[in-house]
Amino acid sequence: MEFKLEAHRIVSISLGKIYSARGQRGGLKLHKNLLVSLVLRSARQVYLSEPGCPPEPPPAAAGHPEEEPPPCPAAWAAEEPPPPPPQDEAGRDCQGPRPRRCCCGENRGGCAGAPPPPHCPRKRSAGERGQAGSPVKKPRREEEEPPPLPPPPPPSPPGEQEDMETGNVASLISIFGSSFSGLLSKEPKGRRRPPLDGGEAAAGTAPAEAAAEPGQICCDEPVLRTLNPWSTAIVAF
Amino acid sequence: MCRGLTPTAPLPKSPGRARGEQRVIHSQDDALGSAVLAVALHGAMTPGFGSLMQDVLWCFSQVKGTTDTGVTESDIISTVEFNHTGELLATGDKGGRVVIFQREQESKNQPHRRGEYNVYSTFQSHEPEFDYLKSLEIEEKINKIRWLPQQNAAYFLLSTNDKTVKLWKVSERDKRPEGYNLKDEDGRLRDPSMITVLRVPVLRPMDLMVEATPRRVFANAHTYHINSISVNSDYETYMSADDLRINLWNFEITNQSFNIVDIKPANMEELTEVITAAEFHPHHCNTFVYSSSKGTIRLCDMRTAALCDRHAKFFEEPEDPSNRSFFSEIISSISDVKFSHSGRYIMTRDYLTVKVWDLNMENRPIETYQVHDYLRSKLCSLYENDCIFDKFECVWNGSDSVIMTGSYNNFFRMFDRNTKRDVTLEASRENSKPRAILKPRKVCVGGKRRKDEISVDSLDFSKKILHTAWHPSENIIAVAATNNLYIFQDKVN
Repeated sequence: MEFKLEAHRIVSISLGKIYSARGQRGGLKLHKNLLVSLVLRSARQVYLSEPGCPPEPPPAAAGHPEEEPPPCPAAWAAEEPPPPPPQDEAGRDCQGPRPRRCCCGENRGGCAGAPPPPHCPRKRSAGERGQAGSPVKKPRREEEEPPPLPPPPPPSPPGEQEDMETGNVASLISIFGSSFSGLLSKEPKGRRRPPLDGGEAAAGTAPAEAAAEPGQICCDEPVLRTLNPWSTAIVAF
Repeated sequence: MCRGLTPTAPLPKSPGRARGEQRVIHSQDDALGSAVLAVALHGAMTPGFGSLMQDVLWCFSQVKGTTDTGVTESDIISTVEFNHTGELLATGDKGGRVVIFQREQESKNQPHRRGEYNVYSTFQSHEPEFDYLKSLEIEEKINKIRWLPQQNAAYFLLSTNDKTVKLWKVSERDKRPEGYNLKDEDGRLRDPSMITVLRVPVLRPMDLMVEATPRRVFANAHTYHINSISVNSDYETYMSADDLRINLWNFEITNQSFNIVDIKPANMEELTEVITAAEFHPHHCNTFVYSSSKGTIRLCDMRTAALCDRHAKFFEEPEDPSNRSFFSEIISSISDVKFSHSGRYIMTRDYLTVKVWDLNMENRPIETYQVHDYLRSKLCSLYENDCIFDKFECVWNGSDSVIMTGSYNNFFRMFDRNTKRDVTLEASRENSKPRAILKPRKVCVGGKRRKDEISVDSLDFSKKILHTAWHPSENIIAVAATNNLYIFQDKVN
């Protein structure tokens, strides 16, 4: 699904922006980082939602009723027992053609590795979390999300409580981190997830996790480059 | 064609109106004809009457700044502001400097050359600072300049960077005392025992010197980055707004400020919106507005409570669901809010539009103007190159009939509120012959590109016009294009 590709691209761009904002002259710009975090959340919701069911049908897709959110849960239920039919959406990790699985948007031939595990559990867990609501619900969702997730957000180190600016970003990361790592914890061990999300997980485990399954590190080089310093940035926080 | 003129609501005369003529306002229903007649009768020099796009021809007047292709970042102009009479024009740049231009007196010998703006004073307003506690550098970039109304021979302005507001006094000195007893002309002290004659020092003329002195420094009141300052109509107080708080100051008191708005949540993880701009009402010293990153405007009355967290009015337009995208929140963030001179309307600028709101109607704006809607399909690229975060400003003309804002490719746009016509003009060195008339520009959205049009993909997004200013009573505009300041005037017949 192009939306997933675009969402993935936007997520990686957004993370890069948040990371590079740390070194900016004049300190963290709260307004810009807030906007980037909102985009990140939108993109993440689209990315995690069932392929073919973007929460906000863009105008271009208005003519595809089967992609409307309401029918999606039914589609999932129907799909799970049989393997999902191969469709041309590049975002489907499950049984799509090999290069597509990498979700990096290009048909990269360099993705060697084990065959993908069934994608359905991931969808199911995403489905359990509910469809991404309208943006109006986002702030509330953010408040609802942390409690059910097993790993609590990492507390800001003492002394940084006064440092509101970096504390904001740490909070933003903890919000995303907990959500991503929460998803990670529900996944089967060998599941395929883009390293992007893996990078967002609890510090230290992400690079190791990513390194443990070299075949599954297939995303764009730029994304990978931002990942490792990104996870070390989380460690620093 | 020659319909009778229909003065609907004569407005009070603004200073500079020629010979007591009354301004003619045509209502929305009047045809163009009567308006054309009005301009023809009153002439293009009618101050403040910038109403008709097709009759106001904008001409190049001056450009300030270097023509070097390599622009040092510190020369980038970050704010432009006329003073209340239009005699002075101030610019601030990223290097913390303020340059003030003064309009020269119009000479009878050269009636065609309306007063040009020449450098009057240049000074370093802010220096880069370092916050040792937070290990952060504080940029010296001047975010805003606001003039105080003139009350004596000196001029006063406020300039602010991210953290500190300063009140500057700009005054002229054209005499100096000479003939001191205890020191000689070089300033060296004389030996008192060597003095045999006493004299009274006298004031002698000297070359005009303009000096700027910082009279007040208002520091340490903002944790977040200051985005706006606004002088109150009582001329005794002003406010400064950062991302989460607005503070009220008295000009005389620098060690205290009063917090009047605080939207910081108890838990910063719940932060959903920030303050993006704030301004006092031009006449009511108890009223101000502030805009947010969510596209809302709140009007507050300081008489109701000390802390104005609860608004008196809340202006928000419901979102158009067909336009939703990943970037809807970013493009709805308001980058500038300005009261009209009359105080009846507010104008807001978000990424793609300018909106005019009536203070009496909160649920939607009364007018919406598309600045560059062709960018709507390019939001992802603009997000990638950070252009989507550009904060464009908007300005009213003196009579509140025309609004202006900037765009990319050094284009700027004017919208006539009465005729609903708009024009796109360009600030470029190529169009910079003296009194050359600016040709309207057009962006070609798709399909066949006509000869003079420019296609969306050819736009230069590094050339952005964020800051513009309009003379308070005449058709003179100042447009900041990166490190150059363009001054355009309407054509003199």
